Amino acid sequence: MNNLGLIIIEILSAALALILVRFMIKPYRMTGENRYLGLPLGFAFLAVSYILMGASLSFVDPSFVEKLKWLQLFTGAYAFVFLAVTYYSSAKTHEQREHLLMQAFLSLMFLVLLFLFIVLFAPPVLALPSYKEADEYFRLSNMILSIYITRYTLRSHALKPEPKTILAPLGYALLAFSQYSFLIWSLDSSFSAFVGAHLIRVVSMLVFLLVSYRAIIAPQNVAHEIVV
Amino acid sequence: MKRLRRDRLKIYMDILLIIRSESRKEKIILTRIQQKSNVPFDRLKTYLSELKDLGFIQDEASPKLTEKGFQYVTEFEKVLDFMKRMGLTY
Repeated sequence: MNNLGLIIIEILSAALALILVRFMIKPYRMTGENRYLGLPLGFAFLAVSYILMGASLSFVDPSFVEKLKWLQLFTGAYAFVFLAVTYYSSAKTHEQREHLLMQAFLSLMFLVLLFLFIVLFAPPVLALPSYKEADEYFRLSNMILSIYITRYTLRSHALKPEPKTILAPLGYALLAFSQYSFLIWSLDSSFSAFVGAHLIRVVSMLVFLLVSYRAIIAPQNVAHEIVV
Repeated sequence: MKRLRRDRLKIYMDILLIIRSESRKEKIILTRIQQKSNVPFDRLKTYLSELKDLGFIQDEASPKLTEKGFQYVTEFEKVLDFMKRMGLTY
């Protein structure tokens, strides 16, 4: 797959993620609860990371491309942490619920700790890691966080099984599998893993779009009595 | 302060949903709404007055949803369904 094909997939993924932001913001707008703001922010950061990856494939200057890739690494990871913290907060009781600032702080702390871990323990010790090495750690972290969300949503589904609640865990599981494929590609440069990771990611976005469509757009207006 | 607002929103929604479910009846009795929403009668009257000010219901004595109230309840139900599908609790 050439660069153009990859850029198109990145643009498509970013477009889908941005469309999803419009749906994901609805719980916050309707309830006014800050904890739900993590959902649209997570998908917005995902969209930004895809745009940055697409941009890094479009430019030639190696130092600029390297900067874009590092930025993509952090925005992508921040998206997954934000989503995971949102679901973590959702499980809490009223008294324990963190506010948005706390969610953002926890997400940032997680990233800082991850980066410090790479610098302190990954060889060469006490040196800035190479992009490739950092990419592997961040992918692993993203995968673990996606698995956490998958497990959380799957548990919600298992507690009250309904066919309509199975799609979200499927979407998050696909996101996790996509990160796994990226990790495999990073380790052994497998072409199929690379292409698969991109395609699985697009499918996961489409699954979330289907969830949003069925919940927000598809419901027919029920007959009602309007008193004027 | 924010918790108070959130709780009030939930009570508003409960009351609006009850009014909608009762809307087929000729006259909606306040006592029935009070029993179903589990809100003291004096506070129910305050909430109904506020809902009327917001334009969601008309006639506090035998409340019925307005167009705006019906649209709000429908939209809220859609979002609740969306949250449920996304595995989020409310």
